[in-house]
Amino acid sequence: MVGKPDARRGVGPVPRVTSLRPAFLRPPVPIALPLTPVSLPDRSTLIAAQALTRRYGAVTALDALTVTIAPGITGLVGANGAGKSTFVKILLGIVEPSGGSAEVMGRHVVTEREEIRALVGYMPEHDCLPPDMSATEFVSFMARCSGLPATAARERAAEVLRHVGLFEERYRPMGGYSTGMAQRVKLAQALVHDPRLLILDEPTNGLDPAGRDEMLALISRTGREFGISVLVSSHLLGELERVCDRIVLIEQGRLLREAQVGALTSETGTIVIELDAEAFAVNAFTARLSARGLLVQVERQRVLVEIPDGSNADAVRDVYDAVRDAAHAADVGLLRLERRRGHLADLFAAAAS
Amino acid sequence: MSKPASMTRDSVMRGGAASTIHDLGYRRYDGPRDGARGAFRTLFWQGFRTMFGVGRPWKSKAVPVFVVVVSMLPSLASVVAVGASQGQIPLQYAGVYAAQLVLFLLFSAAQAPEMLSRDQQHRVLPLILTRNVTRTSYALARLAAMFTAMFLVCLAPLLVLYLGEIGVAKVPSETFADMGGKIGPVLLMATLAAMVYSTVSAALASCTPRRAYATASIIGLFLVSTAIALGLRDLAAVPNEVNELIDPLRALGTLAMVLFGETTRGMELNPPPPVAAFIAVFVIIAAGATTVLVWRMRRVTV
Repeated sequence: MVGKPDARRGVGPVPRVTSLRPAFLRPPVPIALPLTPVSLPDRSTLIAAQALTRRYGAVTALDALTVTIAPGITGLVGANGAGKSTFVKILLGIVEPSGGSAEVMGRHVVTEREEIRALVGYMPEHDCLPPDMSATEFVSFMARCSGLPATAARERAAEVLRHVGLFEERYRPMGGYSTGMAQRVKLAQALVHDPRLLILDEPTNGLDPAGRDEMLALISRTGREFGISVLVSSHLLGELERVCDRIVLIEQGRLLREAQVGALTSETGTIVIELDAEAFAVNAFTARLSARGLLVQVERQRVLVEIPDGSNADAVRDVYDAVRDAAHAADVGLLRLERRRGHLADLFAAAAS
Repeated sequence: MSKPASMTRDSVMRGGAASTIHDLGYRRYDGPRDGARGAFRTLFWQGFRTMFGVGRPWKSKAVPVFVVVVSMLPSLASVVAVGASQGQIPLQYAGVYAAQLVLFLLFSAAQAPEMLSRDQQHRVLPLILTRNVTRTSYALARLAAMFTAMFLVCLAPLLVLYLGEIGVAKVPSETFADMGGKIGPVLLMATLAAMVYSTVSAALASCTPRRAYATASIIGLFLVSTAIALGLRDLAAVPNEVNELIDPLRALGTLAMVLFGETTRGMELNPPPPVAAFIAVFVIIAAGATTVLVWRMRRVTV
């Protein structure tokens, strides 16, 4: 991920072994940026839904969903048809709830709809670009629909388009754009009126892996550097895990689980070690660890070591010491040494079953 | 594309004198916001330009240019003929205008979907409706744009006749004194025609995201009402005064005759309904169509 390396990816008390890498391969040193203070009406609650229900005839898309979402980047996960889009559309005020209530930044989604709209930018899941308009025209038209004056709208359009990485192409009709370019224009139009909350519905749909990475980088940058909260929905947990602070999992219109990404992907009781050594040296290394009574497993180039008592800091330190000593004795080079982290998918799979 | 902002900002902070292009990062917008009123104006102007294909590829300009040019030609020809006859032949406003009513229908049927169906076809509507635009204000802004454009199109040939009549007169200033009162019927005629065309077309166009369907249904509705009026006259012997009002195209033509004080043999035998009746019927049609338009825009799923 570009931008600030995540503190939550740090390796507890033991520093990451990166000294073998040349300086230019190391991750950039985080720089404390003077961020614009975010003026949210209520800083603690971004979105609050209370028994939110929406029925379409006999189908219940949202079934008494109660959830509170704090500012930051929040992932909304669920299978297709889980009610993600319905939830998003209720927040945007284009679908009326059948029951319950919801608030965005302390404003009621039905009665204070107009106020919410100035604060929210929406990137829909579907195509929404008229093919014979250019990106510049389209984005500035959208800015003006948010009430920006003509000159300001043009300037903002140029700025956000540059921001999402659209340069000379922005003067061409959008009919000829690739999916990646179209997704960027869709993100630009959501940002153009300087919202406080971005709602992105499946922003990586149809993108190739490189485009996906770029879109996720943009989202993470928007959320962390521009001070704009983001609610991003996806059916792919893996990619949300990379950018989100928090994940909300809904299924069949109900809240299944909601948690911090950091807490969910907390350290497991396994140390992952990558070695720079010949096979016999690796064997010597593992033999020494086994001799210390540790459970060792060799997985291609990696060695996995179980920590007997992961919650005890002293016990963990002892294991790290053992690894260090064994590496020294067996004369192997340590390329990587870190606690293995849990994956969201495992946790959600557990929650779902 | 996404250079880490931290790095670029860092270079800016250190002076960054060597590079000339800075990525300044995201900037907040705290300038003025015109709110709902600005959004309404935007939708109106964008719609008005769309009606004439301004800022769109040449293909979108074909119908507007064709209709404007072709609807002006008979007017210009009449003015030239009257001028050549040295005022012997009186200028027939309604005669010229009646033939152009079908052209106006073509314009309206072709352009209303460009404005109202396109936003649904390309699914831009959800984006517009999540901004400072309510469903009702969207409908009304589009209708206002449609009406303004139709008014100009319906007015142009009459205005050519009107100015032409003054221009080709022997003493234009004297004629202008006589003609002063005639501008009333010219404006009233254009207003009523634009009102009927724009409201009915907008209502039908808003009901479908498919432009071809919209165009066909607009032309179809006017043609069907013509057929119904004929059928009722022949089979049900509906009185002429009523029958006259069923078919909007015919009603507009007859109203032009009445307003400009022209007459035909048929009209002498069967006197047309009074002007107030025409106006009442047109207002009812317009109100009904506007209601349908607003109702549809309030219900359309986005």
